Parts: sequence; C-alpha cells; structure tokens
Amino acid sequence: MKLAIRNAHIVNHDKKIRGDILIHNNRIETVGEVREKVDKEIDAQGKYVLPGFIDLHTHLRSPGREDTEDLYSGSRAAAKGGFTTIFCMPNTTPALDNEGLAQWITEQARSIGLVDIYPVGAISKGRQGKELTEFGGLKKAGCLSLSDDGDSLKNSSLMRRAIEYAKMFGLLIISHCEDKTLSAGGVMREGAISSKYGIRGIPCASEAIMVFRDIELTRYLNARIHIAHISTQRSVEIIRAAKAQGVNVTCETAPHYMILTDHDVEANNFHGNWKVNPPLGSHEDRAALTRALAEGVIDCIATDHAPHSEEEKNLPFEEAPCGFIGLEWAFALSYTGLVKKKVLTLGQLVEKMSYNPARIAGFSDKGYIRPENTADMVIVDLDCPEKIERTDIVSKSKNSPFLGREVQAKVVCTIHQGKVVYRAG
Amino acid sequence: MEPWQKKHILGIKDLTREEMETIFKIAHSFRELSQREVKKAPALRGKTIVNLFFENSTRTKISFELAGKRLSADVLNFSSNMSSLNKGETIVDTIKNLESYHPDILVIRIGYSHSLINLSQYTSASIVNAGDGSNEHPTQCLLDMFTVQQEKGALEDLRVLIVGDIMHSRVARSNIFGFQKFNSRVSVCAPPTLIPYDFEKLGVEIHDDLDQALKEADVVIMLRIQKERQQESFFPSIREYVENFSLTPERLKKAKKDCLILHPGPVNWDVEISSQLKEIVHPLILKQVENGLAVRMAVLYLVGTRKREYEISD
Ligand SMILES: [Zn+2]
Repeated sequence: MKLAIRNAHIVNHDKKIRGDILIHNNRIETVGEVREKVDKEIDAQGKYVLPGFIDLHTHLRSPGREDTEDLYSGSRAAAKGGFTTIFCMPNTTPALDNEGLAQWITEQARSIGLVDIYPVGAISKGRQGKELTEFGGLKKAGCLSLSDDGDSLKNSSLMRRAIEYAKMFGLLIISHCEDKTLSAGGVMREGAISSKYGIRGIPCASEAIMVFRDIELTRYLNARIHIAHISTQRSVEIIRAAKAQGVNVTCETAPHYMILTDHDVEANNFHGNWKVNPPLGSHEDRAALTRALAEGVIDCIATDHAPHSEEEKNLPFEEAPCGFIGLEWAFALSYTGLVKKKVLTLGQLVEKMSYNPARIAGFSDKGYIRPENTADMVIVDLDCPEKIERTDIVSKSKNSPFLGREVQAKVVCTIHQGKVVYRAG
Repeated sequence: MEPWQKKHILGIKDLTREEMETIFKIAHSFRELSQREVKKAPALRGKTIVNLFFENSTRTKISFELAGKRLSADVLNFSSNMSSLNKGETIVDTIKNLESYHPDILVIRIGYSHSLINLSQYTSASIVNAGDGSNEHPTQCLLDMFTVQQEKGALEDLRVLIVGDIMHSRVARSNIFGFQKFNSRVSVCAPPTLIPYDFEKLGVEIHDDLDQALKEADVVIMLRIQKERQQESFFPSIREYVENFSLTPERLKKAKKDCLILHPGPVNWDVEISSQLKEIVHPLILKQVENGLAVRMAVLYLVGTRKREYEISD
C-alpha cells in the first residue's frame, strides 16, 4: 500500500519545505518529490503537514469511568485533534499499577488501532504512596513512563527510591507536583480573586515546593525527571535554574494555562467548567509560561485531557471535579493563542507538540517527517476560523471552558501508521 | 425612586449604592410598621417564600421567617443538615423539586462560597442570599449599615474597622464592599493567619495591632470567632487570641468617644468582647437584630414586588 500526500507545506520543527510525501505501509519512504504511481493520493494544496502530535498526558478513564471516556472515544478524540500517540495516566479505578492491567490497555488500544496508546504505570501500588509497583512488569506490558498523577508522592524517601529504581529500566518518571498539605481544600488559585469571594485557594507554593523537591532528588541521584502540567511562574523559575545547572529535567504545560487565568474563573461565575488542577493562575503566571515555552524552558505542550460528566461539572464549584477535555482542540487553541500571537513560530509549535514529546518519551522514529520514520502525521488548515461547538465534541465528555471560543486553525486529516484515521467532515 | 430591577440579592458586590439606599429607605418605613400594634402589611400576599437552609442558623432563619410573615407571604422552612456525601447533588435536587411549588422567593443559606448564581439556573424564583460560605451575607451588611446610618446620620467618609476571623467571614466581605461603596475606609484587624492572601488588593488596610487600629475607627465590627479555628492552627489558643484581639474596657478607652461597636451575634462574651462591656455594647447589638428584620422585609418586598410599581412615600 502506497499513499502520497502532494503539494504540501511540510513543517518539521527545524525546517519547512514544499513538496510531496510518499508513505509505504506504515513508514515514510520519500520526502520531497514523488513521481511514482501510488494506490492513493491526498492533495494537500494550501495545507500544512506536520509530524503527528504526541500527548504525554491524557486521562482516558478506563477502567472505571467509561461513562465519561473509554479507550475508543478517547482514541477518536485524539485522532480528531491530530494526535497519533498518547500516554494515558494511571489514576483509574482500579489504578493502573500492574502488568496485567497495563497489558490489557496496550492490547485494547492496538485492536482499536486509531492512535498509539501507551499506558503510564503507577509509581506506587494503588497510587497510595506507600510501596513501589513492579516497574519491570509494567515495562514488559508496554509502559514507557510512570506517574502517580493526581498526587505527588508525599513520602520523599519513596520518591527517591522510585527515581533511582526507574533508572534500571530506563523508565521516565512523570511527576505531578502538588504539596497536598498546602493545597488541601483549595479549589482555585489563591490570590486576590479567591480572597474576594471567600473561596479556599491553592497557593502557588504548593506546586513550586514539589517541583523543587523532585528536581533536587533528580540532581542528587543524577537521574532524569519530567514535570507534568506546570502552571506557575515560580515553577518556571525553578526549572530554568535547574536546567542551567545541567539537571536532566524536562517539563510540560497545557494549552489552558496559556490562555485562561483565574480572572476567567471569576468572569464565568465560578462554574465547574472552569475548575482544573493545577488551578488556572494569574496573568503573571500565564505570561511567564508562554515566555518559558518560547525560550525552551518548557519543553512541550500536553493536554491533560480530563473528561468528566456534565452532571458533575454542574455541581457547585467547590464540589465539581477538576479537569478539562483537551485532545480535540489542543492544536487549534495553541496555534491561535501562540503562533497567531507571534509567541511561537509554527516550527516551534511542532517542536512542542511532536518533536520534543517524542524525544522525552524516547521515540527515535516519531516526531519528525523523514524517510524511515513511522508514518504518523497530521494535515492542518491554518486559515480556517471556526467556533468550538459542543455538538462537534467526539469525547464522551461534552463540557469545556472553550465552548463558543473562536480558533483559527483546524485539523483536516490525521494519518497514523500510514492509515487515514481521521478526516474532517 | 427608580423601580426595582434586581431579580436576586446575591451579594453586596452586585448592588449599586443607589439600590442600597433604596433598601434603607424601605427598611425605614418597615421599621415603623413593626412598632405598630398591627404589625402586618399585605405587600406579599399570595407570594410563596421558601427559607432553604443547608446550614444551621437559628437567628437568620427566624428573622427571614418573620420578615416574610409580616409581609403576608406564605413562608415555608426547609432545613437540611446534610451528610458530607453528595452534598452538591442534594442541593441541586432540592431546588429542582421545590420548583413544583412555584415559589416566588428562595432565601438560601449554603456552605458553598459564591454558588448561588449557578444554582439560580434551576429555579424561576428570586434568590436572596442568607449567607453563602465565606463569600457574602448581604442582609447582615445591610442591617449593619442601616444601623450605622441611624446612629451616625450618614454612611460616607467613615473609618470602619472589622476585627476577627476575616478569612472565613462572609460578614466581613459584605461589609467591606458595602462601606466602600459609600466612600468609607475599611480596615481589618486579625492575626495574619486569618487575613486572606493578597487582601490589600481589595483596598482594605490590614492591621494586627488592635490598640493601634482602634484609635481612628468610627465603627468597629467585632466578628464571632469559631473555636475550631484553633484546632486548624490559625492561632495557638483562645487565651492568646483573647489577649490580642478581644475588646476590653482598657482597649475601648483608646477608641473615639462616639465609636460604634457592632457584632453580628451571637457574641462569645469574654472572647470577642469582654463581658465587662456588656451593658455598653448590648443595646446596639439588640438594635441590630431589630433592624435586621426591617432590612429583610425591605429586601423581600423589593424582589417580591419587582414587576409591579410600588408606592412608598419617602
Ligand atoms: Zn496531574
């Protein structure tokens, strides 16, 4: 099976060319000019072809909350958003903390076949923060990374062991940084707005303290770590300093932290649809995050796709669950909010959504459009104003703070392993 | 006066100074009504008011209940002390169920801060906030200000000091927004642990020395202190709190002669205020209770008759 994409703007993080791409089965064969006869052609005239996006942080809710998302609906949402590889977090019920369950996810994902799904194994059994899981078994079942996402390991000694022990298997530790003794009871960022309404706040120090602890352990153990969804200026400063000193740390942030702030929470009357953890920050945080992204202190954009039922999101703010869906519009929102506003170039956005996540996860054949690489790519229209509508959502979760927002770009086609897995209607 | 527009009374934040003045004017005439032999007016006859209390409060509930009855409305009381499980769901369900009775006004006391605007989508009734979490207690502020207006003659250019658990106090927040709308300067005085983060951004002055803070105050609002705050380590002991933040005869000497002392009640004597001051401060605190009734009648009257023209002479 040979597929050609013709007349495209081909955008890698470091290079833009015009031309054709030849895909042979699941591999890229040629990039440049394709003369030979093929089985199928896609005319990409006026469109841009980018390496398929890789999301290091999604929640697919399976097993346990298949009413809000499952591997199939999550795969469809990913494909629609241009993602060809996603990592699903282990805070499921039961927690994804053993070889059997990880194997089940890997097999289910393979049989669905829309995108690659890599289960992220839990660091501690039951995500209880007490005993380590069997890292070796999780690796055998397909895990490339481990996290107790949703929680930090409270016990610093256990975190030390996890970082050390993961080295043996070359597993990536992804750390959700939150000092829960500081954040307990908080439902939004602590600041003038939470104080004005008497809403219990989460101090930004809660994230920064754990970012610092985990970086310090990583430095001490000469290991590596990836910090999940950073949301504050202080975290950026700590990571910037650590990188300057040569600590092997990478980090991600999510599109909503570069678009929304606690002022949006107020402007929307503290509706549960604006509740997320880590919470939306101040204007200063947002500015610091976008700057850090441009400067390379923040390595990549992850969605933290976190589906919840509408019923739960409609509960009073203090009781509504945290999290937004993110897969379907991550690119459109980032393009509109960052590239259109000249914070990032298109190449840099590709670096944040494809190239860097591939490097962090350890893929040598993804994240770049070149011969021999896996044929994972996404075709986007960069001149396609469109409103985010509830009826367009393919995730099972139909709520989002971005409903009604206008974006300037659109994913028109997603190709995974050489097969078209999504085409815009 | 302009006809009343607001459907809900959710907080002082959302009221204009003119609207507050309207409430004071109407409260004034209801205050007189309560001193007559027949204490009832037919203003809300045929209307249904539901007092929906998801948190304990005897005083506020009684005040609202009597206010509704004096205006001839049918008043229903619904109290629920909920288990900690699925609280939000229960609240939404309760409001949806009550909708079958077509209530005109829901008076709601609830533990969730600033939650009423989102709950208003489940009812066609007007909502009057009787205290929502640590956010606001608008009728308490209105009765405090109404009392100050009576005692001082005006609400402008005063120096108001609020003392105590500012962090968890809806009374403090409502009074800050209320007095600020009349160009009065509000200060707060508490241990730093009980001052919300970045609170100076609301335009309040922050003190931790009560002796200093008292000197310039025209009005002092002493807040009730919850004993549980000690277990949460906001301060190490009631004894030490009292030593630093209790209003004592010696401290009161440092204040202006005509300084007003208010308290939303019930007072923990010898905690917020020394019992030696009982005779001095009690009459005004009782007057607050009386004014509370008049203010709540005014609020119910205004939202309950919102569509009709109302006739009350100045
Ligand atoms: Zn997380």
